Amino acid sequence: MRRTIPQSVLLYVTVILTCALLLFPIYWMFVTAISPSAQLRAFPPQIFPDAPQWQIFQQILETRPMLLWLSNSALAATAAVLLSMSVSVFAAYSLSRFRVRGGQTLGLFILVSKMLPATLLVIPLFAIFREFRLIGSLWSIILAHSTLIVPFSTWMLKGYFDSIPRELEQAAMVDGCSQLGALFKVILPVATPGLAATALYGFVLSWSDFIYARTFLTVEQTKWTANMGIASLKGEFITDWNEIMAASLMAAIPIVIVYMVLERYLVGGLTAGAEK
Amino acid sequence: MAVQTDLQNRTERTLGSSSWIGRLRALDLSSPRHADKLGYILLAPAVLLIFVILVYPILLSVDLSLQDVDIPRIGETREPYTLDNYTKLFGSAEFWRASWVSLKLIVVVTSACFAIGLATALLVNQHFKGRTLARLFVALPWAVPEVIAVVTWWWMFDSSFGLINWLLVTLDLADKPIAWLSQPVPAFLVVSIVMIWKGYPFVSIMLLAGLQAIPEDHYQAAKVDGAGAWQRLFWITLPSLLPVFGVTMILVVLWVFRDFAVVFILTGGGPIGATQTLSMMTYEQAFGFFRMGFASAIGVVTLVICVLATRLMVSRMAKSMY
Amino acid sequence: MKSHLTLKAVLAVAAGTGLLLAGAPAQAETLKFISWQVNERGYGDWWNQAIAEFEATHPGVTVELSNVARPEYADTMTTLFASGSPPEIVHLASFEYQKFADNGWLEDLGPWIEQSDLDLTDWAGQDKCVWEGTTNCIMLLYFGFVMAYNERLLSEAGIAVPTTYDEYMAAARALTVDTDGDGIIDQFGIGHHTTAGNQYTHEMLNYILDAGGYWTDSEGKPAMNTPEMIEGLARWKTVLTEGLTPVDMTSNDTRQLFNEERVAMRVDGPWVYGVMRGADPEVFKHLKLAPPPFSPPVGGSSNVITMPSDISQEKKELVWDFIEIVTSEEFQKRFAQEGASPAPRPGAVRDSVYEAVPHFDLLIETQQAAAAAGVDRIPLGLEIQFNEFAKIVRNEVQRMVIEDLDPAEVAARLQTEAEALQ
Repeated sequence: MRRTIPQSVLLYVTVILTCALLLFPIYWMFVTAISPSAQLRAFPPQIFPDAPQWQIFQQILETRPMLLWLSNSALAATAAVLLSMSVSVFAAYSLSRFRVRGGQTLGLFILVSKMLPATLLVIPLFAIFREFRLIGSLWSIILAHSTLIVPFSTWMLKGYFDSIPRELEQAAMVDGCSQLGALFKVILPVATPGLAATALYGFVLSWSDFIYARTFLTVEQTKWTANMGIASLKGEFITDWNEIMAASLMAAIPIVIVYMVLERYLVGGLTAGAEK
Repeated sequence: MAVQTDLQNRTERTLGSSSWIGRLRALDLSSPRHADKLGYILLAPAVLLIFVILVYPILLSVDLSLQDVDIPRIGETREPYTLDNYTKLFGSAEFWRASWVSLKLIVVVTSACFAIGLATALLVNQHFKGRTLARLFVALPWAVPEVIAVVTWWWMFDSSFGLINWLLVTLDLADKPIAWLSQPVPAFLVVSIVMIWKGYPFVSIMLLAGLQAIPEDHYQAAKVDGAGAWQRLFWITLPSLLPVFGVTMILVVLWVFRDFAVVFILTGGGPIGATQTLSMMTYEQAFGFFRMGFASAIGVVTLVICVLATRLMVSRMAKSMY
Repeated sequence: MKSHLTLKAVLAVAAGTGLLLAGAPAQAETLKFISWQVNERGYGDWWNQAIAEFEATHPGVTVELSNVARPEYADTMTTLFASGSPPEIVHLASFEYQKFADNGWLEDLGPWIEQSDLDLTDWAGQDKCVWEGTTNCIMLLYFGFVMAYNERLLSEAGIAVPTTYDEYMAAARALTVDTDGDGIIDQFGIGHHTTAGNQYTHEMLNYILDAGGYWTDSEGKPAMNTPEMIEGLARWKTVLTEGLTPVDMTSNDTRQLFNEERVAMRVDGPWVYGVMRGADPEVFKHLKLAPPPFSPPVGGSSNVITMPSDISQEKKELVWDFIEIVTSEEFQKRFAQEGASPAPRPGAVRDSVYEAVPHFDLLIETQQAAAAAGVDRIPLGLEIQFNEFAKIVRNEVQRMVIEDLDPAEVAARLQTEAEALQ
């Protein structure tokens, strides 16, 4: 079906307007980042600063261990995604293909575990991690984030596996494949979009965490994540918002990259679990 | 795909062929005798992880909520059991008002997230040049750290030097600047807007993915029957998206219910309690007023509400899902 | 072969988890030290000098300093203490240490002080470190508020530097203007913290003290239903309803606005000078300090240093050595100079301080004025409940402004709620 020219124009205008409106706050972050630190409150508001301070990004990289913080975040998020995915792939497969007694209840319980306010989880978790001597180690947040990701990914993947016909595995099993072999050789390739989508969700979740990282990693400055680094830029008496906004923009780049890599798998992936 | 190969590589690297695996291999059979056992084994790591990391904290919270404690020290002397925290909680006007504010916030934010999420999903589902880029743009607010998103909006809504007031006055839509966060209704509105902006991209991505699964021939058939664009939206698109709505709805509702950063930074629950949500109240009691026992009681009540709500939503969904 | 791959994966995860749980990093002799002042111009430099001095005199011991921003500070420290892993060197704000002392988490410093050379006579604000009869900390700063003002804005409006409340209000009204005629006020006479947080009550206190009121009496009982308090509330209400200050601002925002010449006057602690130095040089030359137009000025204790009660004796000795360094005459003098703040140790001033801090006498003057009046931002008797008290005050005052209530009614309600709190 071809659109008429007025229809196309209308479509593009709508797309551009929508994107502009929704992205404006991010543009505003950018404007703040490159404003001189003595002119953050220009009024009337300037849509672009008179004297943009482009060197702010370089300045952050030079004066703060921004790259270290970013790589800690990336390491923690990647490990949390890998750990939680490997755990939830099996759990989801089990819930989807086996008659596990209490499976329904367990499934619900897994979801419920996401519901306690994080502020209350922090102190007991701290005590647990201290017992295992994990305080100050990236493993503490990897484990904590994994428990937040596992519920969602288990549910999504279970739904996804449900929608894959059993005949596929059975055919493979007839060819001498074990049940688990079938999972790896047949199911997972088909479920790639679902895996990519849940991975994205987990990555974003881990990347955005602040409260766990702050509690478990505070005393080890070399283990700080990007969000902790950004928070520490806030001063007691004055806040250099340009620096904070610039650092935040930098910290968003890895998520954008991950999104762009996963986007092609994403469409058709994320919600197929809920489809029949 | 990447995830899968990585898993395999990692597995092969980590474990060679040790003998205990050989023994356990006996279980890895598709014979019906072992199938159920295998089911349990596969489930075990997830259950273990969640038990280790979450069950103890939950039990501890329940335990604390039954004691009159300020700041407990883990593993030290405990106070006698009492139901005081719960009696106090249910008797406090603040709790009921906070529940009401939470409910309002959930309704407003969730419905707006779905409206914007659906609209943007339908938009970027169209075929046009630059569609990939538009999809990225629509999802972008997701990538902004929450605290930073809040501060950015705070600046735009600043009562004295903010862009939005300046626009309103310059365009003659308001005769003087609005004190956004100093009045109950505008403050609630600002909190909602920030949460909607942070929350809609997730909905949009989920619904966009859902749209891919609707077979094209459904639309063709409807067209043959002479259905217009709106009719197709209401009779084909929306019903097909219903299952997706369910999962997404649970996650969005839980997020709105549990999030406190937005309120904490913008208003601290004010003015005069207009934005005081249950999660804000929990945080304030725990770390502001150091009443861990009382805070745990709110946390436990929050947990119970979440479980009940999810149960309700899940059973509604179950029919369409399985 | 492929068939048991998955089991391997399961076991890999399990084994991996086991490995990680067993791994324990080896630790050298280090003292952990968390502060919110690490990146602060002045104070942060001073801490680093003290650490360098300590490490030079204690070979083999390192001090590990990390920054936690002020908004997250109390939460973080509470978590660390509650879970039994406090930092060895404990740095707290003077309005939050009481809760830690009350839980028995802080060392009784009495014996340590006794067996050392540290003389705390006339040590500014040290009485605030005594909690229920025990000395739980050493005061690091007690200060009086000063008034920062923009000389250019005042003189262009033909206004002299105000010295009384009435002059101050007149100046504030004259300086709150729409400079570019677009119908929006874009220059404010005063800048106040007007959003969530305890700072709200601290800034109100300027007006209340000047009117002769205070939150509690000398016994620590709430004393808010008084004519003086009602006058103080009425003044604060005037400032807000006449729009003399921008609203929904944090104190950090108002300092930024002061530096950008959007706010003409701001009553603030000694640290405001450090902030002013960050302004554009063209603006900085107009920014001046003067005694506050309020009597007595708001003042108070700021932050304290101490140690946890449950660390090993050797560590306690090391921490005490560190405390002795920061409280030594040399380091107190450096504090005055680096921090541009009056050090609590009596007479810790050297001539060179005036080069870095030309207004140093003013700081001493307001510090003494506040101390003579026995003023503290944290009211006696409400130390433990202060966060909650501050929340009540803000709530009732917001109600007063939104619903246009009579200050007398609000004062009565505050009294009742504060009594219930105690």
